[in-house]
Amino acid sequence: MKALILLSSLGVIALLAEIFSFKKLLYPLVIIGLITTFIFNAFDWGTDRIYFNMMRYDDFAVAFSSVLIGVSFLWFIMADGFFKEESNMTDYFALVIFSLAGAVIMVSYSNMAMLFLGIEILSIPMYVLAGSKKDDVLSNEAGFKYLIMGAFASGFLLFGIALIYGATGSFDIVEIAQTVAAGAASSIFYAGLLLMLVGMAFKVSAAPFHFWAPDVYQGAPTPVTAYMATIVKTAAFAAFLRLFYTCFQGSAATWTSIVVVMAGLTMLAGNITAVLQTSAKRMLAYSSVAHAGYMLLGLVALNQYSQGSILMYTLAYSVGSITSFGVLGYVAKAKGGDAVDSFNGLAKTNPFLAFVMTVALLSLAGIPPTAGFFAKYYIFTAAFQAGHAWLVLVAILASLIGVYYYFRIIIAMYFKHSNHEVTIEVSANHKLLFVITVLLTIALGLMPDFVIGLL
Amino acid sequence: MITQYIFYFLSFLAIMFGLMVVLSKNPIHSVLYLVLTFFAIAGHYVLLNAQFLAAVHIIVYAGAIMVLFLFVIMLLNLNKETEPHKNVWLKLSAAVAAGLLLVVMVGSLKNAEMIAATNTFDPSVGLIENLGKTLFGEFLLPFEVASLLLLGAMVGAVLLGKKSIK
Repeated sequence: MKALILLSSLGVIALLAEIFSFKKLLYPLVIIGLITTFIFNAFDWGTDRIYFNMMRYDDFAVAFSSVLIGVSFLWFIMADGFFKEESNMTDYFALVIFSLAGAVIMVSYSNMAMLFLGIEILSIPMYVLAGSKKDDVLSNEAGFKYLIMGAFASGFLLFGIALIYGATGSFDIVEIAQTVAAGAASSIFYAGLLLMLVGMAFKVSAAPFHFWAPDVYQGAPTPVTAYMATIVKTAAFAAFLRLFYTCFQGSAATWTSIVVVMAGLTMLAGNITAVLQTSAKRMLAYSSVAHAGYMLLGLVALNQYSQGSILMYTLAYSVGSITSFGVLGYVAKAKGGDAVDSFNGLAKTNPFLAFVMTVALLSLAGIPPTAGFFAKYYIFTAAFQAGHAWLVLVAILASLIGVYYYFRIIIAMYFKHSNHEVTIEVSANHKLLFVITVLLTIALGLMPDFVIGLL
Repeated sequence: MITQYIFYFLSFLAIMFGLMVVLSKNPIHSVLYLVLTFFAIAGHYVLLNAQFLAAVHIIVYAGAIMVLFLFVIMLLNLNKETEPHKNVWLKLSAAVAAGLLLVVMVGSLKNAEMIAATNTFDPSVGLIENLGKTLFGEFLLPFEVASLLLLGAMVGAVLLGKKSIK
C-alpha cells in the first residue's frame, strides 16, 4: 500500500515537472523516489495487512513488489537515453511510473476488481509507449497491435470475471475459493476460469496466445521492450500465480492439463522459432516467450516451492534481460541494425560489453554458476516434485535448444570478425549498471537461497 | 409473468440485432444495429431493477461511444469495395475457435442450476443512493485507483496526439 501511494504521487510529481519547469531535476528525483519506495515497501515485510478488503500486503506481495521496484530502478538507469532525447520526457516518466503502480496492484490484489484495474493501469501506458516513436512504422505497428490484442484479451478476462461472479456471487478471491470448496459454485464458474486463463495467458505471452509478442517487442523502442520483458512479465506472472494459487487451487483438476500443454507449447514454440531469427531483438523476444513457458512450470506445480521459484526466476530473468537489452541498444545504435551479425567482433572492440553480454546470455540460457541456472533448477524441481516428469523433460530439451541460439551471439562476439569495427563509448552510469547486474547475476547464482527462502 | 414475456422479447431483439451487426455488409448499418442492441440490453437492466445502469448504458454507449464509432467509420471512409478479403483458412479457423467457445459456454450454462434469490426484493437497490454507497464504501479503493487509470490514459492520448517539438 505504501508502495502504491508513493508511486502514484511520484507519477503526479512527474507530470507537474512540465508546469513548474524542474524537468532537469526529474530524473534524479525519480531515482530517489524509487529508492524511497523500495525502502518503505521493505518495511511492510511480515505485516500481512489487508486494505479495504481489496489489497492484501502479504510477504508474496512485498517480495514481488520489491523485485518490480528494484528492477525498474535498474531499468531507469539503463533507459536514461530514452528520457533525454524527447521533448515530452515528463509524460514518459509519468506513464512508466503509473504502469509500475499498476504492476504493484497486480501483485497485491485480493479482489478481481483490483486485478482488472491493475492489469489495465499497467497495460494502457504500455500501449502508448510501444507506439511512442511516432515516425517509425514498426513502432506504430507495435503500439496498434498491442492495443488491439490487449483489449481483446482484457475482454476475455472481464468476461471470465463476470461469469465467476455470476457463479459464486463474489469478487473476493478468498471468498470465491471458499464457495468453490463448499461445492456451491455452478458450472459457469469453470467457463469463467477458462476465459480468465486465456486472458492471463495472453498477458504473459504464453502459446498459443503469444503471436503479438515478437512484433510488439521488435517494433517498440528498445528500452520499452526491456520494460515489457521484465516488469510487465514479472507483474503478469505474479498476478497469474496469485490468482491460481489463492483462488483456483481447489479446481486444479480442471485446468492443470490445459496449463501443462500450454507450458510445453510455449517452451517449444518460443525456443524453436528463436533459432530461426536473424534479428537479435526478435530473437530475444522469442526467448522471452520461451521463458514464459518455463515460468508456467511453477504455476503447473502449484506446491510450496512454486512461489519462491517463480520469484527467483523473474528476478534472474529480469536482470539478464535488462543487461542484454542494454548491450543490444548500444550495439544497434553503433552498427545501425539489430541483426545477430552486428555483434561480430564485439569482444575485440569492446571486451567489457562483450563480457557483460556473455554473462547475461549465460544466465538466460541457464548455465551455472549464473542466477539463471538455479532459477531453472528450482522451477524444474518444483514441477518434478508435483509429478510432471514429462513436462520437465520437454523443458530440459527446450533449454538445450535455447543454449544454441544464445551461443550464436556469444560466438559472433568472440570468434567472428567484423568488416567495419566501431568502438562503442559506454557512459559511466551504464558501466556501473552493467557491473551491478553482472555481480547480481553471479551473486544470485552463488547464493540462491537468499531469494528462494523468502517465500 | 409479463416480465418473463418481456425478457424473451428483449432477448430475441438483442440476439437478432447482434446478428445483424455481424451480418450487415455496410459498416454504418452495423453501428446502427449495435445501438439497437444496446437499447435491448438496457431493457434487460431495467428488468433487473438497475434503472441507473440502464440510463448510463444508453447515454454512454448508445450515445457517446457509438457517435465516436460513426465518426471513425466516416473518417476512414469504409465501404463494401475497400473491405479486405480474408484467407479462407483464416475464416475457417476463426469459425472453429468461436464455435468451440460457444460449445463451452452452452455446456457450462446447460449444467448450471438456477440459484434461488437469497435476498428479498428491494426496489431501491438499483438507484443512485445504493450505488454511491457501494462505490464509496466497499469499492472505495478501486474507485480511487481507477483515477490512476484515467490519468494514465489521458496522458497517453495527449502524448500520442501532440506534435513532437524538435
